[in-house]
Amino acid sequence: MVTKTSSQDALSRAREFSLAGLMGALGLLLPIGFHALGWGGSVFLPMHLPVVVAGFLVGPAAAATLGVVVPILSSVLTGMPPLAPPIAPLMAVELAAKAAVASLLYRSLRLPLWAALAAAIVADWVVLALAAWLAAGFFAIEAGPLQYLAVVVVVSLPGTILQLLAVPLTVRAVERRVPRLRPTPPEGRD
Amino acid sequence: MALAALEVTGLSYSYGQGALALQDISFRIDPGERVALLGPNGAGKSTLLWCLVGVLRGEGTVAVDGTVLRPGTEAEIRGKLGLAFAEPEDQLFMPTVSRDVTFGPLATGVAPEEAARAAERAIERVGLPAGTLDRPAHELSSGERRRAALASILVMDPVVLALDEPTNSLDARGRASLSDILMQLPCAQLIATHDLEFARALCARALVVVNGRLVSDTSMCALVGSEEKLQSYGLAAPIGRNDGQSVLL
Amino acid sequence: MPHHLDLYVKRESPLQGLDPRAKMLAAGGFVAAVLVAPMRPPWSLVALAVLLMGTGTLARVPARLLSRRLFALTVVIGMPFLLSRLGGEATRAAGEQFAARSLLVAATFLVLMATTRAIVLLEVAERLPLVSTFGQMGEFILRGADLLAEEVMRTNRAWRLRAPRATMKVRLTGLTQASMSLITRAAARSERVGAAMVLRGFQGRLPMAAPARLPWPHLLAGLLFALISLGLAGMGRWL
Repeated sequence: MVTKTSSQDALSRAREFSLAGLMGALGLLLPIGFHALGWGGSVFLPMHLPVVVAGFLVGPAAAATLGVVVPILSSVLTGMPPLAPPIAPLMAVELAAKAAVASLLYRSLRLPLWAALAAAIVADWVVLALAAWLAAGFFAIEAGPLQYLAVVVVVSLPGTILQLLAVPLTVRAVERRVPRLRPTPPEGRD
Repeated sequence: MALAALEVTGLSYSYGQGALALQDISFRIDPGERVALLGPNGAGKSTLLWCLVGVLRGEGTVAVDGTVLRPGTEAEIRGKLGLAFAEPEDQLFMPTVSRDVTFGPLATGVAPEEAARAAERAIERVGLPAGTLDRPAHELSSGERRRAALASILVMDPVVLALDEPTNSLDARGRASLSDILMQLPCAQLIATHDLEFARALCARALVVVNGRLVSDTSMCALVGSEEKLQSYGLAAPIGRNDGQSVLL
Repeated sequence: MPHHLDLYVKRESPLQGLDPRAKMLAAGGFVAAVLVAPMRPPWSLVALAVLLMGTGTLARVPARLLSRRLFALTVVIGMPFLLSRLGGEATRAAGEQFAARSLLVAATFLVLMATTRAIVLLEVAERLPLVSTFGQMGEFILRGADLLAEEVMRTNRAWRLRAPRATMKVRLTGLTQASMSLITRAAARSERVGAAMVLRGFQGRLPMAAPARLPWPHLLAGLLFALISLGLAGMGRWL
């Protein structure tokens, strides 16, 4: 068994950086494509798809970084999602949590893909529910925590369904193409 | 005997499942020498190049300018052996050409001012205008991208320059221009290519790899002069096609 | 393609020429001022709005362009404001605060981005201690988007040539397959790019050239703007 050297660590990190960058690029381009086709970017959440997929392919730190950068960069390049009101920062927290949870559970703890994806979606809902609670506090609206969660789940349902369908298929397709990206790589490879 | 620029001894590599991609390859390249690496598709040319820089770990020995490749010496080897990929886009990963070309010097601790000057020299060496440095790679033509990627390697002043299919997507003028650039370089070169004309114009010696084995290490003249050898190595189409003339692949 | 998406408006103006760090300092101070300025009386916010309009004029950013970009935010700002009108006094007041401050802060960012290239902002972020990695990742994403956009255009052209009269079902299927293929190719490419990085000496952090010194007149201008903004907000609180 080959002991990992700092050079191999650098190679792993470089590949991770590069993969996260390309997935982030998709996170920029997909919403543009969806908007151009009139497919309701805020309904189907196209930015989430590549970021969540990346969460299954890279480590938690890279996944969280990607989750933060994509919505902010999209805002800087296109104005959407907006920085004010703080939708882009909210999405940054949301996507970072989602991608990091997926990575942690799938790659670090070796849980099955479905379990990691479900947990990532729940993490997303929790962040959104917290944001809804803060917003309600600001607008002096009173409601219980379950009500926030219910609203959040209903509103994000189309995007959630799309992710449940597309993410596992995509992750498996990538792992077939690049076997090294599986959580337990074959022996003897970098 | 003078120190070899590149010395490979008994290099073997397997992708797994028992099949050997490279089998017991040995050769030597002297300083300043230009050698063509020929072979049909799937022969193992690219695999060999990846093994030379340590991205793939084979068995056997690779030594560049006296430094043996092993865990701990990869960085030094990669500083001495520059590899130009078949796809230049894979080597232009920063937002501007300047960031790409200065990447190597800055990563190895060269001062920013010196890195910037080295980048200007490298860009000039590959025949691109100085203004190219400020441009993003996607604005360049495919020939310009290839030269920009080459500049990002030459800036490190490698002892050996390995090129993987350097004439891909280049027109005749581009190939001639690249040939001129490579002829001016003092470093040893290992050029993996299907373009036999290009190889013949640049290299006096040819290594032929077929099915992972080094089947020939001979002068270019001797290789190209033998139709039989070219066909048996899969470097030319069989006689009988194209009005009886063999076609160099 | 992402370079065409940039909100930057090329003009010859003092603002376009100002060091991005000074502009970020000015914008940061202005945003802070907007957030602390009192709602009643409203003249603080009005003064800040006038200051921002003056800045936009100095930057020679076309008012129509800025208005159009702001208009795109009407749903996300307007909807909560309109809904808040249906609530009690506290909700209505919160709605007014939300709309006024969001509009001003959004306009600030739009003026900043109209006068500064995204890549320049990323290079500044790359050099800041806490957000350095984000800036580096952003640069990679920009370059990745250029590569992928080219691929998408090629795929689109091939699709139009091969299936000009395809049904929606065929288009959707094709789009799904093409997207999957794009992602798997991107993953395969990342292996090669990672190797390219390491072959050029990557050890875990992207190398950066040393930043140019921030010219003191630029720093002064940014600081002055921030202080004036905060002053306007502060006067509204204390007078």
